[in-house]
Amino acid sequence: MQEPLHTQGHSRRDFLRRFSVWAAIGAGVLASISLLRQFIPRLTQYQRRFKIGRVNNFPVNTFTYLSDRKLFVYRDHQGIRAVSAICTHLGCVIEKSDDGFLCPCHGSCYNDQGEVLSGAATKDLPWFELRKDVDGQIVVDLGRLVLPEEKLYL
Amino acid sequence: MSPGISDENRKRLGRINKNFFLHIHANKVHPHSLKTTYTFGLGVILGFLFLVMILTGVILMMNYTPSIERAYNSVKDIVFVVPGGRYIRNIHRWAAHGMVLVSFLHLIRVFFTGGYLAGRRLNWIIGVCILVVVLFMNFSGYLLPWDQLAFWAVTIGSNIAASFRELTDILGITQVLDIGGFIKKLLIGDDTVGQAALSRFFMLHVIFLPLTLMVLTAVHLWRIRKDGGISRPTAQTVRAVGDNSASEKFYSWPVVMWAELAILLLTVAALLVMAFLFDAPLRERANPDFAENPAKSPWYFLGIQELVSYSAFAGGVIIPVLFLVFLISIPYMDKEDGNMGAWFSGTAGRRLTWQSFGFSLLTTLLFVFIMVRYGWFRNWFPDIPQVIIMLINPATLSALFYITWAVWIKRRTASSRMSAIALFTCTMTGFIIYTAIGIWFRGPNWEFYWSSSQWPVF
Repeated sequence: MQEPLHTQGHSRRDFLRRFSVWAAIGAGVLASISLLRQFIPRLTQYQRRFKIGRVNNFPVNTFTYLSDRKLFVYRDHQGIRAVSAICTHLGCVIEKSDDGFLCPCHGSCYNDQGEVLSGAATKDLPWFELRKDVDGQIVVDLGRLVLPEEKLYL
Repeated sequence: MSPGISDENRKRLGRINKNFFLHIHANKVHPHSLKTTYTFGLGVILGFLFLVMILTGVILMMNYTPSIERAYNSVKDIVFVVPGGRYIRNIHRWAAHGMVLVSFLHLIRVFFTGGYLAGRRLNWIIGVCILVVVLFMNFSGYLLPWDQLAFWAVTIGSNIAASFRELTDILGITQVLDIGGFIKKLLIGDDTVGQAALSRFFMLHVIFLPLTLMVLTAVHLWRIRKDGGISRPTAQTVRAVGDNSASEKFYSWPVVMWAELAILLLTVAALLVMAFLFDAPLRERANPDFAENPAKSPWYFLGIQELVSYSAFAGGVIIPVLFLVFLISIPYMDKEDGNMGAWFSGTAGRRLTWQSFGFSLLTTLLFVFIMVRYGWFRNWFPDIPQVIIMLINPATLSALFYITWAVWIKRRTASSRMSAIALFTCTMTGFIIYTAIGIWFRGPNWEFYWSSSQWPVF
């Protein structure tokens, strides 16, 4: 009917041992997950939307380089457009060449529309949506991409 | 105690095993382990270099500030104001480069003498891990001066980590599962290299990686002891050759100590001379707006940088991962234990090494020649999909040729050791060729130049 006392005690001790091992493993795993979350960055200095000044600041029919934003802004008589100055290959800052853009790091070439011509880059340069704020300044939104020919008409 | 030991020898035993710092050594060593042309003392050199790194690193840390405003100036202070600071920094840098170089040499030495055979599999894998940690230590230290070189090398490095996107883009799942972006963020702590990246790299460089390296080194040395000392021909092999004269072990004290002292002196002398003759570079302060042209990583990553100029994902992720997988799997593929302890496993292996070297030299240079002279698919068919370039480029083609060669050798000789020698020689040769091209033959816009004197002047 009833098991002898010593086996009962034995199984309880066994249970407690096993329980404590699994409790330690479980606590360790849970603690590690919460601690490892510390390594995933939550803060950023990256700004998605910002103002770049008035249209009149940009000379007509040329690419103006905004070094702090890493953007090329192109203005003509009808409107204004902005393209990223970061190479889509490995993130170097590209330079304006005679008929397009050139990356100094691994030699990727783009045309004036930001399309890859040669080199290791895999994607075309992104063009960003522009709009005019109430104060007349141009706002760039890095989160919204547009086609190369889409411009903000003046 | 053991009755056969004389008082003199018992004293020698005590010198080693009653001293905490010396008992890392065995009481007795086999004479083969002390043959200069067998080990070249490379492992011991690495140990001493690591000690020098810690010593000089601690000294440098006293004057270094890990903030993007102060870092560059604090390194300048170390170079121009702190007495002897420039010399200490030079030694630190040369010891770091020495560690990379000697780690590779050690890997090559252990491979060609079959040091991974006969139960030494685990220690080979630990050794490969140590190599990876050494490379990361160097790479993390590279950012700390916060000059142009540092900034752009790490920008490129972190974007190589993000090149998983090339794969997820092809699968169309980047929006859902951006592995590349996640790894990059984890590494540099933000979207671009900035204060978060500097803090993380500083932590990695001064605490995390050195501690990891210490633990791995301790296990590495402990395994050598457990495996019965440094690899050498097995007793059966020696008996077959009939050379039984030098198989008696002798007491480590004092012979091993003299050998190690000699290596220590030579290592430190080499460092002091190098540090005296060549200054560690310090370019202008990091400027996120203008990349250097050409922007080059440290020399040991220039082989990989050459490969990423073909395709970021293939060159930066696929090939290095394949290479590591190959290194780790060597002891699982090759189990011909009788080959342990002899350079190239004999004359046949020596001949095969030369053949593989020639094969790799020819095929690798052929692909590079085509690439440099005629361009690649994108120049011929501008609308070609990226996946084809990712799969077929000089890097992947070389790897394919190496593997084919090794498989053919395996068929011909029916020996796993021979095919391992073939593949290892090919990959190492290819690695050296691509590194050399990256170092000496790439100029502005990563174009090919025979010498840097031909670089255009801007």
